[in-house]
Amino acid sequence: MLMDLGAVIEDVRRGMIPAVVYSDAEIFELEKRRVFGRTWVFLAHESEIPDPGDYVVRRLVDDSFIVSRDEHGQVRVLFNMCLHRGMQVCRAERGNASHFRCPYHAWTYKNSGELTGVPFHKDAYGGEAGLRRKGVSLLPASRVETYAGLIFASLDPDAPDLGEYLGGFRFYLDFYLGQSEVGAQLSGPQRFRVKANWKIGAENFAGDTYHTPHTHASVVDIDLFSAPKAKKRKEGALYFAGAGGGTTYKLPGTDFRGNLRSIGYPDEMIDRMEATWPEDRRAMVGTAGFMPSAATVLPNLSFVHNWPIVDADGLVVPFISVRQWQPVSATETEVLSWFAVDRLAPDWYKQASYKAYLMCFGSSGMFEQDDVENWTSITQMARGQMAERLNLHNRMGLTRDGTTVTESIDWPAPGRAYVGFGEHNQRALLDLWADLMDAGEMSRATTNGARAARHSTVE
Amino acid sequence: MLVHDGRRLGSGTPRHHEVVDFLYAEADVLDRRDHRSWLALLTDDIRYVVPVRVTTAHTLDDSALPDMAHFDEDGYSLRKRVERFETDHAWAEDPPSRTRRFVTNIRCWEGRTPDETHAESNLLLFRSRGDVQEHDLLSGRRTDTLRRTSDGLRLARREVLLDESVLRTQNLAIFL
Repeated sequence: MLMDLGAVIEDVRRGMIPAVVYSDAEIFELEKRRVFGRTWVFLAHESEIPDPGDYVVRRLVDDSFIVSRDEHGQVRVLFNMCLHRGMQVCRAERGNASHFRCPYHAWTYKNSGELTGVPFHKDAYGGEAGLRRKGVSLLPASRVETYAGLIFASLDPDAPDLGEYLGGFRFYLDFYLGQSEVGAQLSGPQRFRVKANWKIGAENFAGDTYHTPHTHASVVDIDLFSAPKAKKRKEGALYFAGAGGGTTYKLPGTDFRGNLRSIGYPDEMIDRMEATWPEDRRAMVGTAGFMPSAATVLPNLSFVHNWPIVDADGLVVPFISVRQWQPVSATETEVLSWFAVDRLAPDWYKQASYKAYLMCFGSSGMFEQDDVENWTSITQMARGQMAERLNLHNRMGLTRDGTTVTESIDWPAPGRAYVGFGEHNQRALLDLWADLMDAGEMSRATTNGARAARHSTVE
Repeated sequence: MLVHDGRRLGSGTPRHHEVVDFLYAEADVLDRRDHRSWLALLTDDIRYVVPVRVTTAHTLDDSALPDMAHFDEDGYSLRKRVERFETDHAWAEDPPSRTRRFVTNIRCWEGRTPDETHAESNLLLFRSRGDVQEHDLLSGRRTDTLRRTSDGLRLARREVLLDESVLRTQNLAIFL
C-alpha cells in the first residue's frame, strides 16, 4: 500500500485531516468494507412502501437492495441479484409487485424474497431433489432494523443492535421524525450526482455552523429568513450523542410553545409535540431555547430543519429534509434528498413546508447550491501531489494544548454540547470514522457465514 | 401533464410562428443570464414545475413522482431565486455557467381559453462551468401554457419533464 493508513488515522484524530481522505481511491476501497460494511446504513423510510407489495430499490455503496413490504406487511431488504446467474432481478426504482422475475431465465421470487418459480424445474433440475426452492430466498441483508420509520441495514451480522448503535442520537431523530405519535411521511427523493467526496457533506451537516454566515450570505441578503440571523449562528449549541451530532439555533424565547410558534409551527402541531415529547426534548427547545437545525448520523445520513419565508406576505414555515450522501467513488457522491413532514400536519402546512424545502435544499435549493460548489472544489483540489503534503485544519474550538476554548454547556438532552463556533462535531464524527478504519474488516468466520447462505439452494 | 384537447395549430400558422419566436427569445435571455428580462416574460400567476423522474417497470406513464419535484415554483419563489443571483454571494453561479438552450420540435395547440396557447417542445441544455469539470447536458420535454397579454405573449405555466432520474448536473442553479 502506498499510503500509511496508520499515519492518516493518527492525523485525523489530532484534528489535522490529510487532504487525501477526500480523494484517495485506496482509502475509499477501505471505507467500503470498514465503514459501510460494519455500520448501520439507511436505505428507505417505511412511508415510501406503505402497502404490501410496495418496493423501492436502493444501494448500499456497490450493493443493490430491493426494500419491499411483503404480503404480511413485513419489511424485507433483499440483495437484488438472482441466485442463478447473477442478473439484477428488479431494475425499476420503485413500484408494487407480488413477485420479481429475473429477466434472464425467469427464476421468480415472491416479494418476501422466497424463490417460487424455476422454469422447467423438473426437466432441468430433476425437481426439488436437484434444486431446492422451498425455503430458498434472495440473499437478505445481514441485519435489518427500523427506527422512527427509517429502515437501516447492516452487512455485519455481528453489528450491535440499531438502538445501541444510534445511542443518544435517537433523541434527535425523534425531533425530526417524531412530531406526533404516528410520525413522519417522506416524499422523494430527488437524486443528483456531485463530484465530491461523501464525507464532506456528512461533516458539514454534523456541525459546520461556521460556514453559514459566508457560504449562505446570499439567502440572508434576499431576506429569505426573518430570524435568527446567520451571524447569530455561533450562539447555537453543537451537540453530539451516540452515532451522530448536529447543530441548533438559539431562539430568544424560553417558552416551548412560543419558540415553536415563532418559527412557524401551527398550534395543532405544537399540541401533538407537547403531548408526545418527553420532558428533556421540550426543555431543549423550550427553556433552553435550542432549535435543531442540521445533523448527521454516521456514516452518511443527514437531516436539516429550517424556517424560511415562503410567500410575499411573510409567512414563515419550517421544513425538514432527510438526506443521504451515497458514495459513487472517492470523488463522486449521489445525493438523495427527501422532504419529511409529520403525517398529521394540516394540508396547508404540508404544502407550505414542501415549498420551503424546495426553496432551500435539494437539487434546486438555494442553500444546497452554494454548499455543493464548495464540496466539489475541495474534492478537486484534494487530487494532486501538493494535497498529499497538506493536512487540513479541523481543530476549531481547541487550543494548541488540546483544551477546549469553551467548556461544554449544561445540556438538557443526551450527549455533550458546546456553544460557539467549533469543529467539535466534525472531530467526533471523524473519530468514529477513524475507529472503524482502525478496526479492520469482518472476520473470516463472518465471511464464511455469508458463504453458507449462498449454498442454501443445494443443501 | 397539462390537458390539451384544443385544435392543433400547424407550423405554418401565425400563432405557431409567434410561439417559436417567443421560445427562441426566451432561450436567448436565459443563456445571457438576463434573469430580470426572463421574469418579465412570466405572468403574475406563473407556475413552474420540474418533476422528479423515476425508473419504473413496463411503462413511462408513472415515471414522474407525484409528490416531489426539482422545482415547484410560483412568482415569489422565482423572484427570490433571481434576487439571489443578483447578490454578490451566489457562489453556485459565480463564476457563472456558460449555457446554451436548444429548443426544438415545437408543436402548438389552442389553449383552454381564447388567449392561451398550449405548446410542447424539446429542450437540450448544455452547461459548462469553470475549466476543470466536464460539461453537463440536460434533456427534457417542455409543456408550456402561453397567454396573450397587452404586452404580448407571456409564459403562464411550464412543466419540464427531464429524461434523467439522477441528475448529472450538480445543482439546478439554472432555469430550464
